[in-house]
Amino acid sequence: MLVLMAIEDMMSDLGAESVTAAATVEQALKLISARHFDFAMLDINRDGIRSDPVANALGADSVPFAFSTGYGNHFVEGAHGEQPILRKPYNRTNLTQIVNQMFPG
Amino acid sequence: MSDKAPKDSEQHAAEADVEAFEDDLGPFVIAAETTRMPMVFTDARERDHPIIFANDAFLKLTGYDRDEVLAQRFDFLLAAGTDAGRAEIEAGFADDSDDNLEICMRRKDGSALWASLFVNAVRDEAGEVVQHFVSLVDESRHHAAQDHAEMLIEELNHRVKNTLATVQAIVAQAVRNHSEPSIMRESIESRIGALSRSHDLLSHEKWGSAGLHDLVTTALEPFSVVNGHSDRFGIEGENVRLSPKAALALGIAFHELATNAVKYGALSNEAGSVSVTWSMQSEPDGRWLCLHWRENDGPPVAPPSRRGFGSRVIEQGLAHELGGKVTLDYRAKGIVCAIHVPAPHVANEG
Repeated sequence: MLVLMAIEDMMSDLGAESVTAAATVEQALKLISARHFDFAMLDINRDGIRSDPVANALGADSVPFAFSTGYGNHFVEGAHGEQPILRKPYNRTNLTQIVNQMFPG
Repeated sequence: MSDKAPKDSEQHAAEADVEAFEDDLGPFVIAAETTRMPMVFTDARERDHPIIFANDAFLKLTGYDRDEVLAQRFDFLLAAGTDAGRAEIEAGFADDSDDNLEICMRRKDGSALWASLFVNAVRDEAGEVVQHFVSLVDESRHHAAQDHAEMLIEELNHRVKNTLATVQAIVAQAVRNHSEPSIMRESIESRIGALSRSHDLLSHEKWGSAGLHDLVTTALEPFSVVNGHSDRFGIEGENVRLSPKAALALGIAFHELATNAVKYGALSNEAGSVSVTWSMQSEPDGRWLCLHWRENDGPPVAPPSRRGFGSRVIEQGLAHELGGKVTLDYRAKGIVCAIHVPAPHVANEG
């Protein structure tokens, strides 16, 4: 819970105008279809449910995103294997790097 | 269930062999028949090592009747299509080494059976191998225990990562919002303390669940003597069971509510008090926990112009985390916080 709020603050500090969070796949899909986001961070799986449908939706809407994971060696296979992966606990430097890569200047 | 086929000549021959064998060896045969160690003898002179003797323990382990097993090739016990097992078994019969095989086989009812096989050659006077003697040890419990241990370790790693991420968030928050080092330290220490208390409660219950009454009492314990007065909390409700996620989130939320009460609310003067009460409600969409935190007799309340981090945690973080509803009402005579948590995060005691 506090982790999510810390991420919101980090994104805010990096210049995000607004940050929206979704707790379930259903919520995320609704949000994505309602508006176009500039960037997303996606738990690879949460409480045993994989987030592939969300990754697919983001891809379809051309929204750049990074995966986040608490597990050690997590490999992402298939269509989204090229997306960057952030390991918990998040490192402000890593997140900054990833965001700067995706939004240069 | 298969129909029992009439005995064929092969089976008759196998049983004749066993009878002759029994006549020769007397007490050893009785021992082999009655021991609780599953055992079979196979014929080494026939292809594929057909079973010529199976003791009761073996039949009990595998679920077969004796006439379903005699004259069958030994590896009929393997699940269909497992060539790897077949090769291992063949190797086990071929050599006389001390290595044992661990194989996954199928019982008659189709259930999996992990067993260690100890294979020994039986030789005649000329030194030729005539039979093999196989004893089996059921390793199912061992395998289940191993799988369970692996799962626990995985869970532990996950929990540790989440805890570290939470601590990092606590520190980041303190640094971001305070420039005075002593205030920063106080913020960090008190939040980590809250996290730690929730952990202790959960550990006590082996991380299965935590009781809500226990959680509230524990979370408010550091605040119980404030401004020289004890007993400032009235806590009332059943010890309903919370999921670990709910216990951690609510533990933090109570900590924030109490901290704010000390700074600005009913615990900031001498007369104020806090009542925490809850009950389970049935709604059309399921069971809900409805909890109210009510402050009384504190200084007059006005809604703050800016929501502090603690208020954010309570109003947004908590609801989001548990899929619930939270309202924070700045009433003039004292704030009222209503927290609604849905099942499956909460269940009745017992």
